[in-house]
Amino acid sequence: MSRKRVNGIYRGLAAPALIILFFLFALPLYFTFSMAFSDGLESIRSVFLSPYSYRLVRFTVIESLLSALLSTALALPFAAFYASYDFRFRKMTLALSALSFTIPSILVVLGFVIFYGNNGVLNNILKSIFGFEKSPVRILYTFSAIILAHVYLNLPVAFNLITNGWMSLPKSEEDASYTLKKGRMKTFFSITLPKLRGVIANAFVIIFLFCFSSFAIVMVLGGSPEYSTLESEIYRRAHISLDYSGASALSIFSFIITTLALLLSFIGRRNEKLVREGGRIRKAEKKKTKVMAFILTSLMLLFILPPMLSILYRSFFDRTGNFSLESWNTIFSASSFLSAIVNSLVIAIVASLLSVLLAENIAMYAVKCRSRIAPLFATLPLATGSVTLGLGYNFLAAHIPFSSTCLDYAMILATHLVLSIPFAIRTILPGAKEIPERVSEASYTLKKSGFETYIRTERPLLRNYRRKAFIFAFALSLGEVNATLSLAGGRIETLPILIYRLIGSYNYQGASALGSVLLILAFIVFLLGERIGKKERRWNTSK
Amino acid sequence: MEYLEINNLKKKYGDFSLNVNFSVKEGEFLCLIGPSGSGKSTVLSLLTGLEEADEGMIVLDGEDITAKSTQERNIGLVFQDYALFSNMNVEKNIQYGMDKKHKSSKEISEQTELLLEYVDLVGYGKRKVTSLSGGEAQRVALARSLASEPKILLLDEPLSALDAPLRKRLRTVIRDIHNRTGITMIYVTHDREEAFAISDRIIIMKDGLIAADGSPESLYNKPNSAFTASFTGDGTLLDASLFFENQTGSIFFRPESVIISDEPVNPQMYPSYLVINNVKITGVEYTGSHYLLCVDYNGSFILALSLVKPSRNYVSLLINEESITRI
Repeated sequence: MSRKRVNGIYRGLAAPALIILFFLFALPLYFTFSMAFSDGLESIRSVFLSPYSYRLVRFTVIESLLSALLSTALALPFAAFYASYDFRFRKMTLALSALSFTIPSILVVLGFVIFYGNNGVLNNILKSIFGFEKSPVRILYTFSAIILAHVYLNLPVAFNLITNGWMSLPKSEEDASYTLKKGRMKTFFSITLPKLRGVIANAFVIIFLFCFSSFAIVMVLGGSPEYSTLESEIYRRAHISLDYSGASALSIFSFIITTLALLLSFIGRRNEKLVREGGRIRKAEKKKTKVMAFILTSLMLLFILPPMLSILYRSFFDRTGNFSLESWNTIFSASSFLSAIVNSLVIAIVASLLSVLLAENIAMYAVKCRSRIAPLFATLPLATGSVTLGLGYNFLAAHIPFSSTCLDYAMILATHLVLSIPFAIRTILPGAKEIPERVSEASYTLKKSGFETYIRTERPLLRNYRRKAFIFAFALSLGEVNATLSLAGGRIETLPILIYRLIGSYNYQGASALGSVLLILAFIVFLLGERIGKKERRWNTSK
Repeated sequence: MEYLEINNLKKKYGDFSLNVNFSVKEGEFLCLIGPSGSGKSTVLSLLTGLEEADEGMIVLDGEDITAKSTQERNIGLVFQDYALFSNMNVEKNIQYGMDKKHKSSKEISEQTELLLEYVDLVGYGKRKVTSLSGGEAQRVALARSLASEPKILLLDEPLSALDAPLRKRLRTVIRDIHNRTGITMIYVTHDREEAFAISDRIIIMKDGLIAADGSPESLYNKPNSAFTASFTGDGTLLDASLFFENQTGSIFFRPESVIISDEPVNPQMYPSYLVINNVKITGVEYTGSHYLLCVDYNGSFILALSLVKPSRNYVSLLINEESITRI
């Protein structure tokens, strides 16, 4: 079967996915851009010439760069160790880091307020131990709080991505360097780091873009206009000042910057075929290694767990610190709670299923036809930001002459789909790269058509990646607050929207109870995914 | 005193355990051969320090290096999969291992050129290593290891990924480098022909232990066990009682030790030969230079070499008793 014919099949499979993505992404963007030009060049000029815009850009870029830099730099020593040694709790810590990957940012905000707040868990612990009269940790509503929350949310992301990337590097080159009398540092900087550059850059760009368009964390933990980012300012102009053209013009500004960052990262990346190497991990046998494993694992767990556990804890205690089940009673008796859960689950399941389906076809096309444009195009929504997209969908909805709940659902679904596709593609792409060309060629020689080969041979090999992408997309959709808030204007209530409102009214106990439910839902989906993954692995090895 | 001494080196992985004891002279070319999973590559990993031994001692040039790190051992390794640094070109790969502190840039480039000449790759310095063929890549790996001036060079099945003619050519290159530099080499291979062609001495490994140790000639002509006999080449293993009364054990001989006669032979006329008359040929294989005959003798099979294709189905055999090894 000729390469041309094979490529035709993947093109055919990816075309509907790319067209859908184009409409879901480009249409709202078109309306946002049109709105920016609705008063001629006035809004554009005022945004592009205003020193305030550049101050916003400077602050957004600085906080994103710092967050991404700290997250990746801190993750490196952990990744280096976890990619080299096997020890007790290693898999559990990696799984937990993957779980915190899926924790919605609104929960991170809540966890942070409860744990690091002036009357938070950490301050209470410190006060009771050292007898401080005033709260010693006063980090909330500062620049540090934004950075800390971003690092908290993204360190596990970087840790997970870099560890997995590191584990797939061939070990023989490092061994070769050691036999050439080079020490660990020299080997790391000359051999490992250049090979790891792509993985680190990928983690860095994802985190940078994520922080660039971060909304909930900046809005709640920043707290003052001094800490406004482009995304929060777009939201403020659109929903508080009702300056739609100004918000749209600012969206264009933001879009240009993030697209440039994305382009830079793509230009720097080589289109390498992934070869997963085994035998890199050794058992930690020496006492020194075991102690190191204990220290690193404890540090990682100390970082990941407390804010999450404090949400659960806070849901059982009222403002005065007394045990109370009141908030649980309230949420279980409220009708809005059940409808919010159903809304959240239905939207998340549909959005993530569609997202995985579209992402899979695009990823296969990108690998088989060696397209660099397709993944870049599919990653653009990541660069756009959820508030901008939500705004676009708002404008789009305004052009539709009727309004209905169905339309609101469809709009929210479309936004969640567009926002989760880039992550789904990034998750599935390495899997598509790992499929050996020989496997497909063997299938062709066994008289199977290109389509049959795709369905029966290649797709099953992506099962594990599809599962991961689904969990990722599901968690993203489950925790999405920005677009849902700016789009449905509160007409459709999801769990994160309720949490956001409760945080806004300082009802932390209620928000914690709802947060615990959201956390448990994310945890259940994650566990289900892990279980299915385990079963599949067992099935594959017993075959 | 031996240059490299390996005393009771032990390593256990699950069901597999390695236990070896041998030494190597300075400037010697030693081959380690054996079937897959016999522990050949593990020996190299333990020697380089990439794996830690459970027990035992390694002494190199009078110095105990057992507890030393890979970097401190001064033992070079050429990898089966080349392990070239893909982020560097050919020249940078070679220079990576050089001790540059005591060399001027002119000396460095002169030494690089010399090494490229050694491996017959003059003019390849600026080439990307990803653009090299398998044979070229392995030669760069060889030059890179030599550049670090190791006391011993280990080669882990360096030619196994290459085609047969290229393997033959490169093994000559490797032997030539050994002769020119005088460096001590330990070469791991599973190809006995390669081992015979290249080495001064061969160690045969089986299940983590040394099965035989000797010169290629002695291992071929006087194998110490049935395993060594069959691993070093074709041959016939028969019960000794078939030919010698009251004898136990087996006898072994090579196909080229068997003389074939179309006519029956009188055993009295050849007292130093075992004579077997009128046996049936059950198979004939053409090897290119000879015909390898398989002959049925009372239900056992004897291999014999013939320069011409046999014209009859029955032949007589004469086996020189001097060439027979009792096992």
